[in-house]
Amino acid sequence: MTTFSERQPRLGVPQRPFRRSRLDAILGGVCGGLATRFGVRPKSVRVVVAIVSVLFGAGVVLYALLWLLTPRDGDNASIAQHLLRSRSSARTLIGSGGVTLVVLFVLNLFARRATDAVVFTVVIACATGVAVWRGASGDERHHLQEVLAASPVLGAASARGWRAVALRVLPGVVLVVVGMQVLSRIGGVLGGAVPAFVGGGILLIGLAVLGAPWWLTNVRDLSQERRARIRSEERANLAAHVHDSVLQTLTLIERAADDPAEVVRLARSQERALRDWLFAPTDAPTSDSTSFQQLLRELQGDVERDYKIRVELVVVGDCVADGSILALIAAGREAAVNAAKWSGVDTVAVYGEVEAARVALYVRDTGVGFDTSAVDARRQGIVHSIEERVRQHGGDVDIHSRVGYGTEVRLSTPRRREHP
Amino acid sequence: MTQPRVFLVDDHELIRAGLRSALRGAVDVVGEADEVEPAVEMILERVPSVVLLDVHLPGGGGVAVLRAVQTHNLATRFLALSVSDAPQDVISVVRAGARGYVTKNIRGPDLIDAIYRVDAGDVVFSPRLAGFVLDAFAQDSIGDSEVAMIDPELDQLTPREQQVLRLIARGYAYKEISGELAIALKTVESHVSSVLRKLQLSNRHQLAHWANDRRFD
Repeated sequence: MTTFSERQPRLGVPQRPFRRSRLDAILGGVCGGLATRFGVRPKSVRVVVAIVSVLFGAGVVLYALLWLLTPRDGDNASIAQHLLRSRSSARTLIGSGGVTLVVLFVLNLFARRATDAVVFTVVIACATGVAVWRGASGDERHHLQEVLAASPVLGAASARGWRAVALRVLPGVVLVVVGMQVLSRIGGVLGGAVPAFVGGGILLIGLAVLGAPWWLTNVRDLSQERRARIRSEERANLAAHVHDSVLQTLTLIERAADDPAEVVRLARSQERALRDWLFAPTDAPTSDSTSFQQLLRELQGDVERDYKIRVELVVVGDCVADGSILALIAAGREAAVNAAKWSGVDTVAVYGEVEAARVALYVRDTGVGFDTSAVDARRQGIVHSIEERVRQHGGDVDIHSRVGYGTEVRLSTPRRREHP
Repeated sequence: MTQPRVFLVDDHELIRAGLRSALRGAVDVVGEADEVEPAVEMILERVPSVVLLDVHLPGGGGVAVLRAVQTHNLATRFLALSVSDAPQDVISVVRAGARGYVTKNIRGPDLIDAIYRVDAGDVVFSPRLAGFVLDAFAQDSIGDSEVAMIDPELDQLTPREQQVLRLIARGYAYKEISGELAIALKTVESHVSSVLRKLQLSNRHQLAHWANDRRFD
């Protein structure tokens, strides 16, 4: 297989030169190529060709000519050129053409209607088939073999053996022929409705016998194909994710093997990334970047990454984050960073809850704690900045701490009614 | 006090090895299994007092083990253990009868504490499970407003129960909760048990939705 990137049809944009499509091909890729050339939908081209074929047979002739005379995309020579270039196939071509003409001429002598449009079309179609088969590249021939295997009557041949196919095809053909015969007698000796019904019935049964297995496998293939496609898309998605993040992190961990703190940090950040990917709510209407939950998850990620502490995050409810909630979260972030720096434990619990009238955020550690009445200047500053941030927006700050029992910062802010 | 007889069900050998070494000396590990059917057989045969049950298991998940064992009315209690953050996973094992839920990154001593508590008949709520429950029982949660409460006793949490759950979600241990609310430890435990009962019996939309929307592998 060549790694060849093919031109795609672009609506309204004609693309020269005209080449038969390699990827979008049912038979020869003529329709796909026409669609690219004139900048229309391939499906529209197919419908037009089908209609023209049914009405006049001209579609078939046109298709056959284009198939033979147009190179495939990426090729330089058409099938006709391939055929004429090698002497033996050219000879076969001229020979069989001559024989066909003679046969048609003889038939014409005996029965006058032998060379009408239908016969003509069928002959051209057959000739094209033979020519393509001889002149096509191995690649295209392979494609045609697949088409053949999937086609109605012959399809099962490769799978079930010719005998099974013959058992089905022969009765089918007989039924169809008998049905047509009976139908053609309408108005004859027996006349009237009976032959019409009987003939039509037999004809339908015959067609059903011929077509049913193909139709059934087609339906089955379709749903199987759809399922397989979904599965492979999922697998590709997963593989990309595992490769992009998990494998990279594992490599980093290997490299940082003698730095336990770094290993823990890497493992945690990877764990969080994977969790977000696996379990993040996909149906939450407000889970964009400005939602309360999302911002808290970001807080968790940042603090865990920068301070080597585990943040146990629990959030109940969600809402759009306005200015006061942003201030609340900024204060909560400082409180968590504070816990990471001073508490001496490796876990801080962050609990956020959206209630009807207010939003609350609790940041708690079970570390060394401090005496709230006698804090040193540096901590005093932090406490102040937390308090100021939240109080500016009408919120409340409550800091509980006891030496030896840990610290809890309780933050809350009233909810604005514009965001119910 | 005799050590609880613990049975491990987890399909990952590494996790089982980690659990064994974390529990060594503190509890009596009587067996382990990595799939639903052998797990059920061995639990029925050995009748452990506590089963540490992975939520995700090949062959039906932890829920399948719970359902199969519970038809036999053993005294065995279940503590669910998972890495999953999905509420539907957690809620469905708890509704199927697990007495508690902890995440796999729990520390050794905390896990041992949880096992002893489940063995004594208490309920173990992780902060995350408390969060899920508060979410599910939230008064104004979407989808519940038009659904009439079928049984108000079961479909609502009392203010006290909500307080207790909030404190669990904030990272408080039971003892700290009893200190914070100035109530006896036994009272805290009975509140949590009552929440568990509501969680298992209530038909609130959110719970049913989570419990049905399972995706075990």
